[in-house]
Amino acid sequence: MRHFLFAAALTCLPALAIAQADDHVITDTVEQHILPRFKTLADTSQTLAATAQTDCAASSAPLRAAYSDAFDAWVAASHLRFGPTEVEDRAFALAFWPDSRGATPKSLSALIQAQDPIALDAQEYSQVTIAARGFYALEFLLYDDDLNTAGDAAYHCTLVKTVTADIAATSAAILQDWQTDYAGRMMDADTSDTYRSKDEVRQELFKSLTAGLQFTAETRLGRPLGTYDRPRATRAEARRAGRSERHVILSLQSTKDMAIHLAGSDTALAQRAAHEFDTALAQLAELDDPDFSGVDTPASRLKLEVIQQSVEAIRTLALQEIGPKLGVASGFNALDGD
Amino acid sequence: MQNGRRSFLGGVLAAGLIPKPTWADAGAPAYLAAAATPDGSYVLCGIGDDFNIVFELPLPARGHAAAAHPIRPEAVAFARRPGTFALVIDCVSGQIKAQLHSPEGRHFYGHGAFSQDGNWLLTTENDYEAGRGRIGVWDAAQNYKRVGEFDSGGIGPHEIKRLPASDTFVVANGGIDTHPDSGRTKLNIPTMRPNLAYFKEGEIVETATIPQDMHKNSIRHIAVSAAGSVAFGMQWQGDGHPTALVGQHQLGGDVVFAQTPENALRDMEGYIGSIAYAADGKTIAVTSPRGGKVHTYDAQKMTLRDVSDLRDVCGIAPRPQGFALTAGSGDMGYLLGKRQQLNADPQHQWDNHLVAL
Repeated sequence: MRHFLFAAALTCLPALAIAQADDHVITDTVEQHILPRFKTLADTSQTLAATAQTDCAASSAPLRAAYSDAFDAWVAASHLRFGPTEVEDRAFALAFWPDSRGATPKSLSALIQAQDPIALDAQEYSQVTIAARGFYALEFLLYDDDLNTAGDAAYHCTLVKTVTADIAATSAAILQDWQTDYAGRMMDADTSDTYRSKDEVRQELFKSLTAGLQFTAETRLGRPLGTYDRPRATRAEARRAGRSERHVILSLQSTKDMAIHLAGSDTALAQRAAHEFDTALAQLAELDDPDFSGVDTPASRLKLEVIQQSVEAIRTLALQEIGPKLGVASGFNALDGD
Repeated sequence: MQNGRRSFLGGVLAAGLIPKPTWADAGAPAYLAAAATPDGSYVLCGIGDDFNIVFELPLPARGHAAAAHPIRPEAVAFARRPGTFALVIDCVSGQIKAQLHSPEGRHFYGHGAFSQDGNWLLTTENDYEAGRGRIGVWDAAQNYKRVGEFDSGGIGPHEIKRLPASDTFVVANGGIDTHPDSGRTKLNIPTMRPNLAYFKEGEIVETATIPQDMHKNSIRHIAVSAAGSVAFGMQWQGDGHPTALVGQHQLGGDVVFAQTPENALRDMEGYIGSIAYAADGKTIAVTSPRGGKVHTYDAQKMTLRDVSDLRDVCGIAPRPQGFALTAGSGDMGYLLGKRQQLNADPQHQWDNHLVAL
């Protein structure tokens, strides 16, 4: 009897150790991955709005630098699509993309042509169509050859100030909700009604990892790739600002950090995941195609296709190895979404 | 009797006609289902009511659902969204009789339905440059020639069914805008408005909507009872949890949502993959592959009756008693109350729908 219990205790030990170690997965991911990203987003967005107040010219170097920093911060957080980012469609208000039918330039043109007074006030501006808000709308106002000089200069300046102030307000609201409410809901899952268990929290985190990878593969890379016969360079994300490649790099760096957190105590798995990410990042480092206009030439296109396959390989590893560890159903139909 | 039969046959022979096969002919399957195979290829299977595979046809890409011809043993199998092909299959021989290709600027959503006389096939399609749902019309007599189309009454039309003994169709407009240039990325979640649209001769006769605070609940799959009730399953696109995932509606009536205890509702992970009425119309069954659950509801009271577990369950269809089930794990069999009788099939990962013929 004693022997039996001893053996049982021994065999249970590794499982217990993993369970204890992985208790930290949620806390570590929230405190080390999520909160710092939304803090950076709020801070850089605040700086962007402040910069625009003093320097609203589309060609202004300080404004463009502040825009780049804040947009970087958004891309690094863009896979974290649950809770505070989804309240009042805040994430969409920061990032309305892809825009398959050109709603962003259309709605900005309409505002500028009409000199719509709604752009005089950031609070009011939160009522306009989300296509005219956020980082992608601001890209048109700063970098589009037509829209960056369109209309009355004073109105254009006001619009830049208002769009940046709206971005700052949205980012600040997301951070506040995370800090005062949602971080606690995730870390004390058992006492919140948002999640019924730690398992549900881990699943939420995991889903945001795989959805982020899918978005990068299908949309950030897939849109400009189009088909071999018909590549679509003009569909690349933020190509006017020359940020297409940068966004893929930033999103992979950020999801890599998250994947390592989610692998938790399984250091071998964390290493395998990191290796897959590093493969894709090394391929990107050699690409040198900031706006993905290279999709029009076969050699450069091939490189981008290989990168897309590498991102899909990361997602496959996540689905097959990280998901089951976190108790996420990854069946044929569970992943279908149709 | 003898004379009558002889003279009937004589007439047929005199006219040079051989009676055409019907669904009642031996060998016709009871169900159709698409599947993935271990080598990564996709197939469509005819399945007998004893769950034996009657035929297996290769598909050029992943399938989704199928529409059964109301008279002839013929069915049309559709590609998964945003696919552009559909195959017309002779369900006795298992041979392909015709192929459909969606017109330029359209793709299929994976579902279709026949008119009462079987002369017309209607398909749900995306006019993706306009971001509008369309219903394509195909002439079965002309080898499924495309003859027209009309607006679906919404965005993202998914499943379409015909109401019994009529040529009134009901379409689940899921509300989600997608464009093939962005894969399956959802483009309009903040503004999506799903609905159920009823059509007669290409004109909307009624549109049923859900409350604004549920507008992110995509109405995706529908089932129709012999009495003409429409049960629908939804897929939640918002944050947090939906208040319902199943509803019922009838022409001229109000939408009624199923009452599901909170924990059971949350176990469905915001996602209904398929829905079916029982043969007697008294029970509605829905599957959630994400939750690995089957729920059955009392169709009269719209209350939860039974919960049953099955990993990656998705396809569901009525049997004379209970329901037939398929799962992505390869499991296939029946559900009677809470009791499951399943066979594991390692050669087939059963895809989304099990279509009763």
